[in-house]
Amino acid sequence: MIKYILRRLLGMIPMLLLISIVVFSLALAMPGDPFGGEIDPTNTDPEYIERMREEAGLNDPIPEQYVRWITNFVQGDFGKSVKYRYDVKDLILDRLPNTVFLGIMSLIITYIVAFSMGMYAGRKPYTKMDHLIGGFNYFGLAVPSYIAGIVAIYFFSFKLGWIPYTGSVGVGLEPGTLEYWISRFHHVLVPAIILGLMSTASYTQFLRNDIIENSRKDFVRTARAKGTSESKIYNSHILRNSIIPLVTFLGFDLVNLISGAVITEAIFNYPGLGTLLLDSVQSRDYAVVMTIVMFSSLLVLVGNLLADILYGIVDPRIRLE
Amino acid sequence: MKKSWLWLASMLLVLALFLAACGDSDEEEQEQDDTEDTEQQDDTEETEGDSGPAQGGTFTYAIASGPTGPLDVNFYGSSSEAEVNQFVQESLIDYDENLEPIPYIADWESEDNINYTFTFQEGVKWHNGDELTVHDWVLALETLAHPDYTGPRWTNVADIVGAVEYRDGEADSISGINVISDYEIEIEFVEAKVNNLVNLWTYPMNTTVYGDMEVADMEEDALIRNEIIGTGPFTMKNYREGEYYELEKFEDYWQGEPNLDGLVVQVVPNDSVIGALESGQVDFVSIAPRLAEQAGEVEGVSVVTAPGLSYYYVGFRLGYYDHEENVIAGQYDKFQNKLLRQAMWYALDREPWVEEFFGGYGEVINAPVPPAHWIAADPADLNPYEYDPERAMELLDEAGYIDVNDDGWREDPDGNEFTIEFSHYDTGDPAFETRAQAFVQNWQDVGLNATVNMVEVGLYYDTLEESDPTDAPDFELFFGGWSTGVDPDPSGLWTSDALWNYPRFLNEESDQLLADALNVDIVGTDEDEQKANRQQIYTEWQQLINDEAPMLIITALDAVYAKQDRIKGFTIDVNGWNNPSEWYIEAEDQE
Repeated sequence: MIKYILRRLLGMIPMLLLISIVVFSLALAMPGDPFGGEIDPTNTDPEYIERMREEAGLNDPIPEQYVRWITNFVQGDFGKSVKYRYDVKDLILDRLPNTVFLGIMSLIITYIVAFSMGMYAGRKPYTKMDHLIGGFNYFGLAVPSYIAGIVAIYFFSFKLGWIPYTGSVGVGLEPGTLEYWISRFHHVLVPAIILGLMSTASYTQFLRNDIIENSRKDFVRTARAKGTSESKIYNSHILRNSIIPLVTFLGFDLVNLISGAVITEAIFNYPGLGTLLLDSVQSRDYAVVMTIVMFSSLLVLVGNLLADILYGIVDPRIRLE
Repeated sequence: MKKSWLWLASMLLVLALFLAACGDSDEEEQEQDDTEDTEQQDDTEETEGDSGPAQGGTFTYAIASGPTGPLDVNFYGSSSEAEVNQFVQESLIDYDENLEPIPYIADWESEDNINYTFTFQEGVKWHNGDELTVHDWVLALETLAHPDYTGPRWTNVADIVGAVEYRDGEADSISGINVISDYEIEIEFVEAKVNNLVNLWTYPMNTTVYGDMEVADMEEDALIRNEIIGTGPFTMKNYREGEYYELEKFEDYWQGEPNLDGLVVQVVPNDSVIGALESGQVDFVSIAPRLAEQAGEVEGVSVVTAPGLSYYYVGFRLGYYDHEENVIAGQYDKFQNKLLRQAMWYALDREPWVEEFFGGYGEVINAPVPPAHWIAADPADLNPYEYDPERAMELLDEAGYIDVNDDGWREDPDGNEFTIEFSHYDTGDPAFETRAQAFVQNWQDVGLNATVNMVEVGLYYDTLEESDPTDAPDFELFFGGWSTGVDPDPSGLWTSDALWNYPRFLNEESDQLLADALNVDIVGTDEDEQKANRQQIYTEWQQLINDEAPMLIITALDAVYAKQDRIKGFTIDVNGWNNPSEWYIEAEDQE
């Protein structure tokens, strides 16, 4: 097992190196640079713009720029954001807690909702309630999250006034107070539900189908024959088997949360990594874009590894060599 | 949200109970937004007793995108930062409704446009209780001229005697700055330019807070990035970077205590603005002209406009630029015929275009100066290029652009196929292609074979700035916009050595007129005489551009805002709104 993990980790290094080349070339291939675009002639002058380009090293040969970037990157120096005039590392550390908070909330909501709906539907398949849950889930799968987000803002925020439509916390609350945390939860709730909508739907259906399938297996019949109670059969015998494929999703979920967050955060104007990435792409803020994309790629690799390891742990039949 | 709303409501309710009912305060009176008589106005209002503006309440100002860089006025880079610092930090001088400089915190005198003496008002307080003195201004000027300074404002101090030496590290101070007393200072410029004053940096920097800070560290310091201090009507109380900035009234504000208790600048995405106005969560917001109609329909919300300082144009790429030598290195043949350019101007139906794509919030103009500016030529002196396809066709016939092979399109005078490609930037907004198409349709109507070329916005401006001396430019005809500042001098966009002269318009007469308007020997140093002379020269220049038509000027754009009606005491002109300390919320509306 340890050998396997080590081998996988070592394999990541060339892969990350290749990714870094792709990320770097794609970033530079974007037309324009952070200093171009719509210029406000009353607020700047050509000499200053040229000086900033020189300072950012954009006038150097491209291979030289790449080597400088990757060398610094490996040493933990992610460069300085042109737009924010700030260290990329600090910028990301500022935003990261918001995204992690959103992600964890979304995961918790997804698991609670998906498990309760999935177990119910799996236990009583083809009933009215099961169809209702199924209908709801396919609806959730079909509606793109940006539509769901805008509709949610329109109804719950503007029409009913239940939820905020912007930001991560209410105006003027002192960090650390109870009110502050209530406000944080309040702000993150709906974005988290929207972000988890799609995985909730697929988890529920997955769990339901697996439970139905398992309930027809021999070991369930044996348990029934022994007189084990129905609830014990479902909650212990079947669920344990049905959870196996779901657990392995956790790895992929990590990635989904980051990519899904870009859209959800933008709609709710929630200041996390997603909005930061979007803004930076729009303003060609290379250092920020490359850093976030590199870390997302790393997260994909780690997520995959995690999924494989979890497979081995929850299902002893699978042996990692 | 519900909780904080309740909290806000109850707070306002309590406040409302304490406050005297508000009478009719005459808004018309405040129309005249001269800062000099602001104080008098405040006085008269207060002597009127309980009919003065209501006190208290919090005002929410929405901005579409959050500040990213340092907020401090000496360091900021983008307009969203200015949206916040404008309430906290103030300039020493102000501008009137014709954009002429007027005394504010500082008054000035100059005989020769080289030496200026500035006199500060006494008793102007910083938010930390310090009194504003000329030393605070010296600190700002020296910071901008410092070799480690990273902001974009060097040009605003570069013309002071000794600034270059200071920047190169050859001097310990700027020799052209001479402090006479705490309230008096002399500044000497390198040469007598008429725009020395409007170019000069007129924001101070607090010496006790920033005096000992290394210039190189300032940009990343919290005191520059977010926790800024100034002399303005509101102080920074609380903030979440990129989300909101909670400002509190400054009780010792030198223009009198502000009526509002506080002001929140909140980032609200464009998609949510109308909804937020409906629910009353936003009091005031700058709004895109095409959303204005929708905003105006919201109950209790009205649309406020002021003449803006930007204009849109269609430019011809007449030549190419040498980036090494900084000159226009050559000209293309295609659009050199003046009659062709004028005909294309006549062919444009601009009024309905402004109505359709800018909700009518613009004024069709014929010279590259926003009409609100004092140098703007009298419209009677310019050819109005009213929509006249007949005249356009006559001009094209006269210029030799005639359809010789009966394909429905005009050929060039040599009988070759003549096509025009009109480039427009593409940001994903579908309206852009439609509005470009509208112009192309106009040209097609007079027999010109025009097509639209939509270009991704990043690539667009890159291409516009670059240019290769090849046979044909990448963009031969392009859409663009410029905003102009208080300085009337358009040299940076129009002289033949200017990088941002995108049409690459090469005209000696234009260069000469622009130079003359800045030349003290020609326009004189007496204030009134100088103004009249400059206006005359700029009018001649606008007539030249109007006739040469290197750009088909389309429209000047209004600044459009949506405002809740409960906000009173608010006026706006081309130089922006009146002092925010005068804004108030009717007592009965504060609940």
